[in-house]
Amino acid sequence: MKNTFMCMAIVAIALSACNNNTTEEKKTNDTTNSAATAAPVTGGSSVKDIVEHYLHIKNALTKDDGKEAANGGKALADVFAKFDQSSLTAEQKKTFTDIQADAKEHAEHISVNAEKIAHQREHFATLSKDVYDLVKTLGGGQTLYNDFCPMYNNNKGATWLSETKDIKNPYLGKTMPTCGTVKETIQ
Amino acid sequence: MRRAKKIGLLLLVIFIAIQFLQPARNKSGQVMPTDISRTVPVSPAVSALLKTGCYDCHSNNTNYPWYATVQPIGWIVNGHIQKGKAELNFSEFGSYTIRRQKSKLKSIANQVNDNSMPLASYTFIHKNAKLSKEDKALIIDWATQTNEAISTKQ
Ligand code: HEC
Repeated sequence: MKNTFMCMAIVAIALSACNNNTTEEKKTNDTTNSAATAAPVTGGSSVKDIVEHYLHIKNALTKDDGKEAANGGKALADVFAKFDQSSLTAEQKKTFTDIQADAKEHAEHISVNAEKIAHQREHFATLSKDVYDLVKTLGGGQTLYNDFCPMYNNNKGATWLSETKDIKNPYLGKTMPTCGTVKETIQ
Repeated sequence: MRRAKKIGLLLLVIFIAIQFLQPARNKSGQVMPTDISRTVPVSPAVSALLKTGCYDCHSNNTNYPWYATVQPIGWIVNGHIQKGKAELNFSEFGSYTIRRQKSKLKSIANQVNDNSMPLASYTFIHKNAKLSKEDKALIIDWATQTNEAISTKQ
């Protein structure tokens, strides 16, 4: 009988414990990660890092590679979280915080949906607008092209940022790699 | 035989024991000032669809079915509510920044269009929450138009 009670208690605790600690788990993961990978000298990340990981996702999507896009999403969420705001003006901080709250979510969704590339692309569309606003406010550190694909999402269209002038479409991928036009060059 | 009986008894005891581990209820009982219906225009038809189809997992008020009091089903239901609310909470929509409001409206249109929401496990039991083609169009149009109407104050 004693044994029965022990088993019961253990099972009950195990069941209740695995129920609601997903967020907790994520947090601890994050901290261990940042401890392991944080660069030794620089404290936080910059716009350059954000653009780099955003382009990582973009380039993976042009190749229909959901898994690689997910890797980019994870890295992007990470650099958004660790962004160094110390050099920003009060006004810039406000804009950044606004963009960060939204963009981080999209990056996270992209990171956990490696098997659902259509869903990754939905989030990428909104993310692109966020990152566009960010580089317009803070500067991108490199020349970027704001491209537009009119066919995506039942001809509603969507934009994305690219580091090259040639069109490589992240929404339609290999089915229509060159669909789209450069709308704006951001220096 | 004795062994099987013992195991059966053990499972029964576990089942009874876990009934005492009830997750906290998601029921505030009031319409928050930040509710989406007080933030942006929502027609009565759309509001009704959101309430039957989405509020159980995406608001501070869940209409619990009786079997949600039976564990471990209640835990699964609770997991959906916690995750769903973290993604999108119609009761707190007004506290989101304009950017996030727009972003969520876009996600709503996408999720409904892709048949990803309401969750299939939910419509399987709640037949009345299943969205017809017309229902879907109604929600998508509303979400798209509302998104366009909210101006990004920049
Ligand atoms: C049974 C619970 C449940 C119901 C009912 C439900 N949802 Fe969800 N919803 C979830 C959960 C859980 C998530 C987060 C996990 C995921 O992404 O699958 C979610 C996520 C979402 C998201 C964010 C997804 C993204 O990737 O952007 C949106 C938007 C959404 N739901 C809209 C709706 C709408 C609109 C309805 C009603 C038509 C609805 N949901 C009904 C549980 C539910």
